[in-house]
Amino acid sequence: MNMDPISTSLPTPHGGAAAAAPPGHAAHSDPSAHAPQPSGWPLLLAFGIGLFATSFFLLASGYHVMPLFYLSALICVLIPALGWATTIARERHHQDPVYTYRILRRGFFYFLLSEGAIFGSFFAHNIYLRYAHAKTWPPVGAPYLDPHLAAIGTLLLVFSSFTYHWCHQAFLKGKKALAKNWLLATIALGIIFLCIQGYDWGKLKAFDKFTYQHGAFGSEFYWMTGFHGLHVCVGLLFLSLVYYRMETNQIDQTYNFSLTAAEYYWHFVDIVWVLLFFVIYLL
Amino acid sequence: MSTADAAVAPAPAPQAYSGLMDWLTTTDHKKIGLLYLMFAFVNAWAGGLFAGVVRLRLWSPNSSFISPHLYNEMLTMHATVMIFMVIMPAFVGLGNYLVPIMIGARDMAFPKLNAFGFWMMIPPALMMYASFFTVHGSARGGWWSYPPLSGPQFSPGAGESLWALAIILMGIASIMGAVNFLVTIADMRAPGMGWMDLPLFVWSNVITAWLLLLAVPVVSGVMVMLLSDRMFGTGFFQPGLGGDPLLYEHLFWFFGHPEVYIMILPAFGIMSHVVPAFSHKKVFGYKGMVIALASIGVLGFMVWAHHMFTSGISPQAQIFFSTTSLLIGVPTGVKIYSWLASAWGGTIDFTPAMKFALGFIALFIIGGLSGVMLAVVPFDIAVHDSYFVVAHLHFVLFGGSVMGLMAAIYYWFPKMTGRLLSEKLANWHFWLFFIGFIWVFMPMHWLGFEGMPRRVAFYRPQFAPLNRFISAGFLLLLAGGIIFTYNVLHSLRKGERTSDPDPWGVNDVQQSLEWTTATPPKPWNFDEEPEFVPAHD
Ligand code: HEM
Ligand SMILES: [Cu+2]
Repeated sequence: MNMDPISTSLPTPHGGAAAAAPPGHAAHSDPSAHAPQPSGWPLLLAFGIGLFATSFFLLASGYHVMPLFYLSALICVLIPALGWATTIARERHHQDPVYTYRILRRGFFYFLLSEGAIFGSFFAHNIYLRYAHAKTWPPVGAPYLDPHLAAIGTLLLVFSSFTYHWCHQAFLKGKKALAKNWLLATIALGIIFLCIQGYDWGKLKAFDKFTYQHGAFGSEFYWMTGFHGLHVCVGLLFLSLVYYRMETNQIDQTYNFSLTAAEYYWHFVDIVWVLLFFVIYLL
Repeated sequence: MSTADAAVAPAPAPQAYSGLMDWLTTTDHKKIGLLYLMFAFVNAWAGGLFAGVVRLRLWSPNSSFISPHLYNEMLTMHATVMIFMVIMPAFVGLGNYLVPIMIGARDMAFPKLNAFGFWMMIPPALMMYASFFTVHGSARGGWWSYPPLSGPQFSPGAGESLWALAIILMGIASIMGAVNFLVTIADMRAPGMGWMDLPLFVWSNVITAWLLLLAVPVVSGVMVMLLSDRMFGTGFFQPGLGGDPLLYEHLFWFFGHPEVYIMILPAFGIMSHVVPAFSHKKVFGYKGMVIALASIGVLGFMVWAHHMFTSGISPQAQIFFSTTSLLIGVPTGVKIYSWLASAWGGTIDFTPAMKFALGFIALFIIGGLSGVMLAVVPFDIAVHDSYFVVAHLHFVLFGGSVMGLMAAIYYWFPKMTGRLLSEKLANWHFWLFFIGFIWVFMPMHWLGFEGMPRRVAFYRPQFAPLNRFISAGFLLLLAGGIIFTYNVLHSLRKGERTSDPDPWGVNDVQQSLEWTTATPPKPWNFDEEPEFVPAHD
């Protein structure tokens, strides 16, 4: 669904070396300028994530550690992440925008493929249990998963893919105010979707006493919808970031990769949900 | 409007740090590559030590040297460390160092992400080692960690959970690395260099990166499920809760088989450089080699259940997976013939790198053949979970991946460091490894036929003589490792210097960009933008 003029005018992935030049093909006299800038953020972020994972682990294992520890772990993730992002924003003016856009787009696309493979492992789990393991599916005692409400959520989420696409188009045509409105609509739809899922969860828990400990069926239901919900949350953060960057004029018609990345991500979240809805509620 | 019109301000010269800070903040693909290699080097000693402990316990059928509990820990951590913290990072490191130079690029596409990928290896590595000090000790369910053995009931304690968490974190690093390689190779090739001009080591990295990108996330998902079963009481793989342990095996090996190719394809690539270089010939059958690599990559996703022939899968599935596994032998054979043909009729220099490469061919053929035998269902049912499988996997992983890695290090060390390794010590290293390897692992085929089960701390007394023989052979490998370590550490400081861009004279016959730039390369790799003029014959 990616129709923005920049990417369609870009060479195809296999155009390879004949296409836009990598950095360093620009006329420079001093070759040392081609060496990449050092940065401490990657190391700090990695250790922040390690600390965060450790604290999560302690929490989940029921150890009692000071809340301060969790807080500092979170800070150790956030500060390097922000620092890294600002560095990139600063450095982008030294790079050929067409080239930078192209590698980022490809990299992000491949990353989403791997995300798809993670979801794939959950789908495979579900399909296998359903057709090759369980005697009956849903198993005896499992609650009826009412698809009606979820169907509304599905429609809203699918619609939000369109609103975002219109936002992207409007922005590239220079209609910033319109773009912002479409973006707000997208965010609102995403939030409504999350509310609907939350309501569904709450209902299942309160009325059907259905939890993730309710056997493999419950584990799958809550992990798959939950993991997807997490992606919606990240997507919403992503969209808010785009909004912020529009508001503060950090993106324009040349530098707007975040707009494209958010589009890829949001469509991805949408496609995964449609499959999830089909597999979990309808099959 | 076109974005290409936008003016690009020239980049300032990079900030310079020195000493430790330089290594901690580096985004230079070559330094990151060296960091990966050092990481692998350190962990190889830990993993080797664990193997030594395993062999000591197996000195006698019912040894009291260590408890069976500790034996299981050692066995699990030996495999985990060697696979995830030695062979994988070592090849990622080599790829990091060499791929950008071989394609004429200044660096990887995302230098900071590259550094992140390396540093992301450290916390999980620490977790792995720290898990020894938890109440019940480290993970001990094997590197495959099948539930219900790895479930909360039979593996209580934090060790197994830390293990799963560490695998997830290392998975993040692998995926980021794979993305970086794929983008770099697709978008940063020197002008004039098409896909079919890529050196075969680069091609092997393309296929490896695809395998990483699509297989590693699956094991991440599976580890999330396993962890959740252990920590939150979910039922993904718990039989009592409607889950299915057999499904774990399917999902794990869906990752696990591509994983073994992740560990061998880079070595295949290395072979296609080292063998022609020291035979003073060109690669034989380049196109066929690319096709073979790609078809191994694709087929690699369709053979996973050959690890599960005895687990109760249907006969139809057995036939399918047996057939696909046998098919993989075809492209593998193509590769072996190509290396032999690349050497055929050449004037061969028996340098240490070439010796390791020839050793690779000899040992990998044996490992490949035992693989083909295992792919035959009735045969596999007879020897599954016996030492025959241990022999097979070590012939391909040690005889293959590690010998290939060594060939690579002896081949590219002068380029990376500007110093030469001692050839005399290198020869000692090779012969100790080669003879020690055959000494240790060849008899395991025999033990397997005789029915000695793997993964168990006890065995029947009649196996004792061979086991002692094997354990003694470990000393040869240990000696080889010590000599190698000494050689590297000594040569780094005192080795003979070289600044010859092409000390082996590779480019007299071939066309490989890493031998055209300075030795060792400058941080910016090339003073002049390399143009690639393909020499078509
Ligand atoms: C000619 C191609 C190959 C075939 C047909 C093949 C076949 C097999 C089969 C059937 C098994 C399962 C044996 C059992 O558990 O009963 C096995 C195990 C194994 N193979 Fe291969 N193999 C091949 C090449 C390789 C390569 C290239 C590697 C790695 C570099 C490799 C690494 C392993 C490992 C690590 C195991 C043991 C896994 C475990 O249970 O821990 N194999 N192979
Ligand atoms: Cu396999």
